[in-house]
Amino acid sequence: MASIELANLTKVFNGVRAVDDVSLQVRDNEFVALLGPSGCGKSTTMNMIAGIEQPTSGAIRFDGRDVANLPPNKRGVGFVFQNYAIFTHLSVRENLAFALRVRGVPRVEVEARVAKIAAVMRIADKLDRSSASLSVNEMQKLAIGRSAIAEPAIFLLDEPLSNVDAAFRAFMRTELKHLQHTLRQTMVYVTHDQIEAMSLADRIAVMNQGVLQQFGTPQEIYSAPVNTFVANFIGSPSMNLMPSRIVSEGDDIMLQFGAAGALKLEAGTPLFQRARCANSKDVIFGVRPEDIEFAEVSDPTLGLTLVAQFIEPIGPVTTIHFSDGEYRIKVLTEKRFRTGLGQAHRLSIPLERCHLFDRESGRALGADHEVGGRAHVNA
Amino acid sequence: MSAPSSRTASAGKLTEAMGDAQSRRIGRLTTWPAQALLLFIVLFPTIVTVYVSLTAWTPLDGKPWTQAYKTFWWFENYWEILSDRKLFAALGRTLLIVIIAVGFQVLFGLGLALLFVNNFRARPLYYTLILMPMMVVPAVAGYMFLMLFQSTGPINQIISVILGHSFEVVWLANETLAIVAVIVGEVWQWTPMVFLILLAGLMSVPEDQIKAARLLGANWAQIIWRISLPRIKGVLAIAIGIRLIEGLKLFDIMYIMTKGGPGVATETLSLYIYKRTYGDLEWAYVSALGLVIVITMSLLGLALVALMRPSRRVQLVHVAK
Repeated sequence: MASIELANLTKVFNGVRAVDDVSLQVRDNEFVALLGPSGCGKSTTMNMIAGIEQPTSGAIRFDGRDVANLPPNKRGVGFVFQNYAIFTHLSVRENLAFALRVRGVPRVEVEARVAKIAAVMRIADKLDRSSASLSVNEMQKLAIGRSAIAEPAIFLLDEPLSNVDAAFRAFMRTELKHLQHTLRQTMVYVTHDQIEAMSLADRIAVMNQGVLQQFGTPQEIYSAPVNTFVANFIGSPSMNLMPSRIVSEGDDIMLQFGAAGALKLEAGTPLFQRARCANSKDVIFGVRPEDIEFAEVSDPTLGLTLVAQFIEPIGPVTTIHFSDGEYRIKVLTEKRFRTGLGQAHRLSIPLERCHLFDRESGRALGADHEVGGRAHVNA
Repeated sequence: MSAPSSRTASAGKLTEAMGDAQSRRIGRLTTWPAQALLLFIVLFPTIVTVYVSLTAWTPLDGKPWTQAYKTFWWFENYWEILSDRKLFAALGRTLLIVIIAVGFQVLFGLGLALLFVNNFRARPLYYTLILMPMMVVPAVAGYMFLMLFQSTGPINQIISVILGHSFEVVWLANETLAIVAVIVGEVWQWTPMVFLILLAGLMSVPEDQIKAARLLGANWAQIIWRISLPRIKGVLAIAIGIRLIEGLKLFDIMYIMTKGGPGVATETLSLYIYKRTYGDLEWAYVSALGLVIVITMSLLGLALVALMRPSRRVQLVHVAK
């Protein structure tokens, strides 16, 4: 059992800051996902935790102890590679036993523990097969079992589910969650798949271009993104982000959207408070596709009017794309909803669940007050 | 023998006119000159060798080889091989030299290859330097070591400097030291080849496997023993096999450094055959000996190839457990 602390961790490759001043703390037994697009530095961060890469500057501490001088084989870290790195010249049994053999664990104990982990990973019937003959799904289980057998205090998984088929991925997600609960290990999980991160992790660290954007629970990251990158990256389909302009009107504030209309922020509402902190009148307005409704509103300042352009039905829900030439809005709706293409609709925008970002910096307005110390803002 | 495939033959216009069977016959006809040439190059010398090996013919008789049948004595030469004590002594010496030399070649070659797997500064330069001995003509290498191992040569001088007093061993005139000198030369020249083959093998070991082994707690020795070596087992066997077979033909270095001396201390199989050929002119006996060696080597080679086959290798792995 161990906590991990990254303090101002930086890695420079040929002048490129692959990881840029990342600081975060993973608590004991916590399941943290490092989430970001490819090349965002999440794998490099993971490799530094494992000791495969040396940080250019900054510190890594396990349980408060600096591990800078510990080689990878002394860190007590389990690591599952994206391509599994199965020892194909060895049998399944020898793969599982590897970590124990190199530690000089007595043969009887090795056999018992191999049998136990094989049962947990459900590959007990494959023990004497050549590991090269396994299917990708079985290799996945073998890779996890091979790392788990040494009972490392920290378990690192580098996109472990990116190569397996969709059905097995859903199954493995459940298995991993279960495994983490049984093993009670601190897990760090690298992925570019937000569904994986949201469903598995206790907390998610969203990274982009080497910089940690936000670190918080899936709910925090979903409902209070600190900047437009996180807002856009989390959620599927992604959040509608529309440039808008703040105009004062009496005590209230109007958000203008050209021909599509305007939204009135009444004095005293949370969004009104945030709009008031804006340095510039130019903002970005964000609303999630799933929050928009087709209610008939009589007050024109509570909705926007746009034309249905095309429809993406995906079974349980349907995404409808609206546009008025200048603005585009995606709306996620229940499957029974029908509309004709080219038909204008008045969309009801629930202001209490909307977001405002500074147009220049992309930072959420008033985010510091909202999320406080629970999220790191690094934009 | 090899007929041209019917697909190529049937592609042409000519084929359509003549029909498949006829075109195939013509196709076969066109390969005859090449086949005849091949037969002449390979089969003819073999037949002559077999023929001569069954006689007591020697060029001293003054008769051409075509009349060797006049001294025909069946397998007499082959019986002589079985009781040729000098031959077996030479074979024993060859094996001793070769096994020790190949042992060191593999040891040094593997060590160097392990160092060269990872990139380091000036690696290409060192790489080139290490490969250079292999490029030297063996006879030239022989001269080099002949000079180095002279009693007043650089090797004795260097040892004198290290010891601080005069060191004047007559390397090439001492039965044991001559063997040592020859082995040093052989190891110097052929370690690069083993290095090259093993490096290619080690480079093919996926880096992820080594990282994974490290993260699973293995130290560098365990990684070499449990990951790298098992994965290059086949390549290692090929390197050893090639060096053993090449080593059994050991001649150049020996011929120039020691001429097989002192006495017969460094007389290898090849040198022995050379002496019987040019010294004693017993060409019929040498023919028989040559055939026996070729057949023995071929069998060894076949065994090696069989060992290399993947399916067989898997079985061997299981047996070894």
